[in-house]
Order: sequence, then structure tokens, then C-alpha cells
Amino acid sequence: MNRVSAIDIRNVTKAYGPTLVLDDISLKAEANEFIAFLGPSGCGKSTLLRMIAGLETLDAGEIHIGGRRIDEREPGARGVAMVFQHYALYPHMTIRDNMGFGLKNIRMNKAEIDRRVAEAARILEIEPFLDKKPGQLSGGQKQRVAIGRAIVKNPDIFLFDEPLSNLDAALRMRTRLELAQLRRRLNATMILVTHDQVEAMTLADRIVVMHDKKIQQVGAPMDIYARPANRFVASFVGSPPMNFLPVSVSEGANGAVATLGDGSKVTTRVKGLTDSASWELGLRPEHVRVSDQGLAAKVEFVERLGERTLVYARLGDGTALTAEDEGLSRVKMGDTIYLKVDGDAAHLFDADGKGYHTPEVG
Amino acid sequence: MMSPKARREFGNFLFVAPYLCVFLWLLIWPLISGMGLSLFKADLFGGASFVGFENYSRLLQDPVFLQAVGNTFYFVALTVPALAIIPLFLALMLNRATRTAAFFRGVFFSSSVLSVTIVTLIWRMVLMSDGGFVANIIGFFGFDPIPFLSDPNLVMISMSIITVWWCLGLPMMLYLSALQQVPQDIYEAAALDNTPWWKQLTHITLPAISRTVVLVVIMQCVLQFQLFGQPQLITQGGPNGASRPIVLFIFEVGFRRWDIGYAAAASQILFAIILMVTLAQYFVASRREGRGR
Amino acid sequence: MSKPFGHMGWRHSLWWLALIALGLIMVAPLIWTLMLSLKSNSELLRSTTNAFHLPYTLENYAAILKSSGVFRWLFNSVLVAGLTTIGVLTLSSLAGYGFARLEFPFRDVLFVVVLFGLAIPEQAVIITRHQMFAGLGLHNSYPGLILPGLAAPFGVFLMTQYFKAIPKELDEAAMLDNASRLKVFWKVLLPLTLPAQATLGIFTFLAAWNDYWWPLISATRPEMFTLTVGIASSQINFAQTSGLGYLMTQAVFASVPILIVYVFFQKYIVRAVAGQAVR
Repeated sequence: MNRVSAIDIRNVTKAYGPTLVLDDISLKAEANEFIAFLGPSGCGKSTLLRMIAGLETLDAGEIHIGGRRIDEREPGARGVAMVFQHYALYPHMTIRDNMGFGLKNIRMNKAEIDRRVAEAARILEIEPFLDKKPGQLSGGQKQRVAIGRAIVKNPDIFLFDEPLSNLDAALRMRTRLELAQLRRRLNATMILVTHDQVEAMTLADRIVVMHDKKIQQVGAPMDIYARPANRFVASFVGSPPMNFLPVSVSEGANGAVATLGDGSKVTTRVKGLTDSASWELGLRPEHVRVSDQGLAAKVEFVERLGERTLVYARLGDGTALTAEDEGLSRVKMGDTIYLKVDGDAAHLFDADGKGYHTPEVG
Repeated sequence: MMSPKARREFGNFLFVAPYLCVFLWLLIWPLISGMGLSLFKADLFGGASFVGFENYSRLLQDPVFLQAVGNTFYFVALTVPALAIIPLFLALMLNRATRTAAFFRGVFFSSSVLSVTIVTLIWRMVLMSDGGFVANIIGFFGFDPIPFLSDPNLVMISMSIITVWWCLGLPMMLYLSALQQVPQDIYEAAALDNTPWWKQLTHITLPAISRTVVLVVIMQCVLQFQLFGQPQLITQGGPNGASRPIVLFIFEVGFRRWDIGYAAAASQILFAIILMVTLAQYFVASRREGRGR
Repeated sequence: MSKPFGHMGWRHSLWWLALIALGLIMVAPLIWTLMLSLKSNSELLRSTTNAFHLPYTLENYAAILKSSGVFRWLFNSVLVAGLTTIGVLTLSSLAGYGFARLEFPFRDVLFVVVLFGLAIPEQAVIITRHQMFAGLGLHNSYPGLILPGLAAPFGVFLMTQYFKAIPKELDEAAMLDNASRLKVFWKVLLPLTLPAQATLGIFTFLAAWNDYWWPLISATRPEMFTLTVGIASSQINFAQTSGLGYLMTQAVFASVPILIVYVFFQKYIVRAVAGQAVR
């Protein structure tokens, strides 16, 4: 029982009427891990989180926390605390009462409640608001109170349901940093549901990419980025998204050689390909650079972001491609440019969308 | 033993159970048994014999009932348009944030909180030909008193005046809150276009609050078809039944003559009339709205 | 503020004249009543025009204060309207929470049946209800006067809509805070419905206070009359009444409590009506 609060989700399935939303999901999280459920809306990530919290029932499967099966317990008896998307603060209670409500319900003694609320308020710097009502607070302050209400419960697991989606851009970035610091301080298992890959990449130890009722990939952020398990993960993670070019593939000396529609070849270091009827070459924009030579393409649109420039171009055979150039790029719309492809960083996807990558070194 | 889910759902049901009991006991059951009762010849002393639709056929030949139906429709035709239009005028005038407007709103709504017995007491003193307020006023100018309450041709009009006076507060408030919802930029745009005030009214304001107009008309129809207290208290339905509405007929038959099967049949007819008029208006309104889009 | 009748000079003042005329028609009967109540009965017997001038007297009010009947009726009205209001608020809040938030078999069907109840006029049920209450011996009793008012579906409808408008996240947060169903209802949601409670409470109180039909047929003994029925009884015996001035004093006396309620809660009444219109 000392290595507590690992989550073990076993073969969980859920349907709303005839619509399946989660199909045979299994997942484990270790103690003190920060896990992000990442995916487009409707992928079932929120449902999975709400199942852990006890706000949704399971049609099949089990959920264990710290070695005990909890999926039939009341939400309050699972050792979890949740931060809601819209904060869900009780409007008629003071901030102090909001934070203490759950503790009062388990008949904790008043001195201990006061101590915990004061401690959480100090950590989150919300002491000045303790006797105000939620209506008097800004969005960012409410967010802190919502986190504070979770902290005082001293839970085994924190659940965050899109906690930053209601904040404006600047506040979101600051709160993201604060969440990262808080996480270091609290040493608890945390699960974050988000559709924002930056949140997932920056906060999580491991990302669970979900799509179409299933888990697509589980891995460390850079792993997900560098070695996407399939075409969906590759296209969903990374901004702007990865380029996909239809290619035919042949064995080469160091790895597969991909031949594009116009006959030009890209030499990759991908090994161990299986037989597949058709292939796609996956290239992140930062691995397609504007150069003096290489693939000829016509510029359709240019986005100047300051530190870099994104060039949306079209190859001779009509394939669209996003490339990157330096911040002071001179490329204009309508120009014909040449693109240099970094074959070492290229990915290949077979007809089923499974990803193949350059073997890891060491 | 119940499963945990069944036990939980039973616990949930307990929240609605108290109301449902009262509702079924005091509203649904009397409604259904009233429908049944209307097929019996029944009296107070528990004697009841099944007569089928005889009560209904008797009603349709009963001159007193037919007169009451006629009176009721006449009354509705007099009051509902007045209660749709006068409050609209008041609301248009008083839809502003001044103290004067607030004062007038209070004045026009105040009568609505009075009970029917007080309203009738007051108005009897106003309308009676022997020493009433109006009689005194026109007497001062040398005219004879008008027999508001004893002339069969005037008595329903008098009831209507009393009713409009009593009921105009609620529709006014409904219109006011509807007017509050009309976006102000439409008026600003109209002012820029130099739209005349009556065109503003017919082209902007009225279409914007058309749903409320329908609501007011339906509500007032339902309410005014149930006219009872005013004639019951002032004229007891007279003279010669000229002010007896359907509900007073039901009251007299059911609670004075204790012919309760007959009264139940009359009340089912009233229910049917109200339901049909409401549905008809609702239907017309929703069709017009559908065309408008 | 919109001014559909704005910017029109002399026509503008005509509209206001019409409004003031209507206002006078509104208050004239009230003032006339007040004047009559301040006149001695003997003077009014000679001519009611006497009411337009001095001397005024409070003798009718003194007479009212001495008679026991009116006070008993006032007490009955307060009790019946008050308990009806408490009952409706309790039943409607519980049922509203149940229909809006909890799951049980046939919930949606039952709610539709309750909505259908909104369309049932009092007259369609009053005869059989009267019989039922006679059988149960409930006439001329407080339960007999109060119970029918509790069956009206409007409160359930209003509270269900109101509970539905409260974000469900709040219930969920409270569940994670170890609150039971009852605690979620009592501690978290119910305090948030206070505006609706005020609205519903005032409407119910006014309706119960002013109800005439049911107390008229259910309460036949004068000591069980509500104020409404009591005033009606003195009015029906108009010919042999103790005097015009006394009668009008009763009217004034009976309207004062409800007018006080009106003035005091005017804000909520307006909001209540506004809520209906937005629907």
C-alpha cells in the first residue's frame, strides 16, 4: 500500500445507447505520474476521465486505484479530486466554504479543515479572496480556487477536465506554468484531459492519444512527436501538421527509399518495412526546408510568424506540402521554390496507417 | 432484495413521489371521475344511475345552458381584445426607466392583486344606479343614472369593464418584459432611416413581440372563459340570466341544485371549449410564425 | 429605453393625456371606496354624494376592529395562503430536482403528464373533488382548504426548468465532495433556486389568498371562511347589510394586507411575470 495511487484501467467499454464511445480501453499509470489524455472532441477522453471520477458508469471493465477496485464506489469514496472545465464553484458559498465543503461532508474536524484551506490558499496565493464569493473573482482566480478545492482533499489522484480552456491566451500560458510547478510540489498522480497538444506536451510525463473510441498511442511527449504510432497521431500532434505524400517504397542501403509521384526520390533510414500496397511519406514542416535545389514546388501561400516562415506549396504532381523557412524569408506567393527534404527524419505509413520510423540510436 | 441500481432509482423517485401523489389524487383522478360522472344522473345523496350521454343531449337543449354559453362567448369577445390592446398601449407608453413610468406601472398593476370579492364590492359601488360613483358624477351634470347592472343589454358590458380594470396588469407586465428583450439597435437604425413612429410600431415592435401577443391572447381566453365571481357576486346571473356564464351555471346546477352529473357534463363541455380555443390559437400562431420565417 | 411613441411633440402629449385618463379610471374606484369607508352609515343612507366632502370619520374602522368575524377570516386567509405556499414550494422543489436531475423509470413520461395538468381548468375537476372531500369529511377544515392548492402543476414546471438551468458540473463537484443526493439538493442546488422560490412563493400566495371558487364551496361555516369568501358573504346579503360605509371598510381592510405584500415584493412580482414572458 505504500506505492499507492497507481491507476489501472482494465478493458473498459462504454456506450450511450447504440453509440459506442469507448471500446475496450486498458491503461496503467504509475504513482506520481502526470498523464494527459489528448484527442479531438468526441474521442471519449472526457468520458474516460469522468469514469475514473465516478461521474459515468462503466458498461464493462474495471478501474483500480492503488490496488483497490473503485469503479462501483461513490465518486467521493475514490480518493480522487477533480478540477472542472467551468470550475463548478458553488456560487452561494464563500471561497473558504467552497474549499472546505468536501472536508465538512466527511466530518473532518474544523481545525484541520481550517489548516488545510489556509495551506492551499497560501500555495495558490488566493488568501485575499477567502471570504469572497466566486462571482466576485476573475476567471484566473476562480481557476485557482477550483484547484485549491482539489488540493485540500489531499487526493491520491487529481483529475483535470480541460482546465485551461476557459482562460485567455496569456493567462493560459501562465497557468500552465503554475500547474507544472504545482505538480512538482504536490507529488500526486495527475490526469489532464485536453485537446490542446501544447498543454499535453508541456505538462505530461506521458501522453495518451485518443481517437475514435480507442487509445491510439501512449508515450512520452517527444516519443509521440518523433515516433507517432500511426497516421492519426502523426497528423494530430504537431503544428502545423505533418505532410503526407503518397510514395512507392523500395529497399535501399541504409533504409527504405521513397519515390514520389514526379519520380524524385527521398532516401530514409526507416527499416523493417512490411509488405503494403501503398505507402505515405510523413514529413514534418521543419524537415522540409526552402533551399537552392531539391523538389520543385510552387508557393501558394506564405505565413510569416517572425522567428520562422511557413510556406504552403504544391509539387508538380499536385501534392500539397508545408515547408519551413527562416524568419526573414524572401519567398513570395507564386514563386517557384526548391525544397530540401531531411530523409533522416522522415516517417513512412503503410496502407493501414501504421507508422515506421528511423531506428532509435543507443 | 433490490439491486443497488433499483434501490438508487427508487430513492430518486421519492423526490417526485409526494407531488405526484397530490397531483394524481386531486387533479387527475377528479378529472377522470368527473368525465365518468357526466354519464350518470347523480345527486348529492349518492343516488346514481347510468344515463350515457343523456346529460349532454339535455344540455344542448337547455335554454339556460345555451344562454350561458352565448353569454360566455360574448364576454370573451368583449374582454380579450381589450385585454390584448389596452395593456399593449400601456406597455408601449411605460417602457422607460423613469420614476413616473414606474409609478404608473404600479398603479395599473395594483388592481390585479385584489381578490374578486373586493373588486366586485368596489365596482358595485361605482356602477349601481342608486348612489353609485358614476351615477353621482353624471347626476352632477344633470343626466339620469345608467342602469349598468339591471339592463340586460348593458350588464355583460359592465362585467367586461370590471374585468378589464381588474386584469390588465398582468398582460401589461408581460408586454413590458417582452419589449425589454427587443434589441435597441433596431430602433437606432430605424431612427437613422427617419422611420415614422407608426411604422416603427407595426414593422419593428409588434413583430418583435408577436409571441407575447399570442401568449396574452391565449392566457386571457383561458382565464375569461372561466368568468364566475363577478356576475355571481354582483348580479347572481341576472337580469333574466343575461349575465350568467357557463361556470355560474355549473355552480348553480352542481352546488345549489345538486344535480352533479349534469354539472359534471357542463364542466366537461367547458373544458373542451377551452382546450379547443387554446389549441386553435396555438395552431394558427405557430403556422403564421412558420410562414414568417 | 425604446420610445416607440417618442419625438412627436403635441401628439406625444395627447398620448400622455390618454394614459393619465386611464390612470384616473384605475384609481377612481379605489378612492371612491376609501371615501365611502370614511363616512358614517347614516349619512350614506341619505345620499352617497355626501362621500365627496367632509366630515370623514373612522367609526367604521372602529366597528371592524370590534367585530370578531373579519379577524377570524383574516387569520384563516393568512394560514391557508401561508401553508399552501410552504407546501407548494416544498413539493415543487423536490419534484423539480427529481425531474431535472435524477433518473428513475418513466421520468419523462411522468413529466409530460404533469405538463398536461397545466391545461386542466379548475371547473373540470371541482365537482368530483368536492364529492371526494365530502366523503373524507374534509370540508370546513384547514386541510380541505389547503390541499387542492398543492396539486397545481405550475410550480413543478417552473422549478424543473430552473433546476435544469443550473450547470450539472455543480452537482458533480458536490458528488466528488462526498455530498449525498439529499445534500446536493439541500446545500448546493436549493440555495441557487432562491429567486425562483421567491417568484413561485408570491404567485402561490396571491393565488391562494384571492381564491374564491374552492373556499366558497368547501367552507360553508362562517368561522372557516377565508377573507375572500367572508367579504363575499357580507356582499351577497347586501340589502340587509349593516351599512354601506361598513361594507366598504371591510373591502379596504381586506385589501390592505395584500397591497402591502404587493408593494413589498413588487420587484419579485415583476421578475416573475418577466420570466413567464421570456419562456
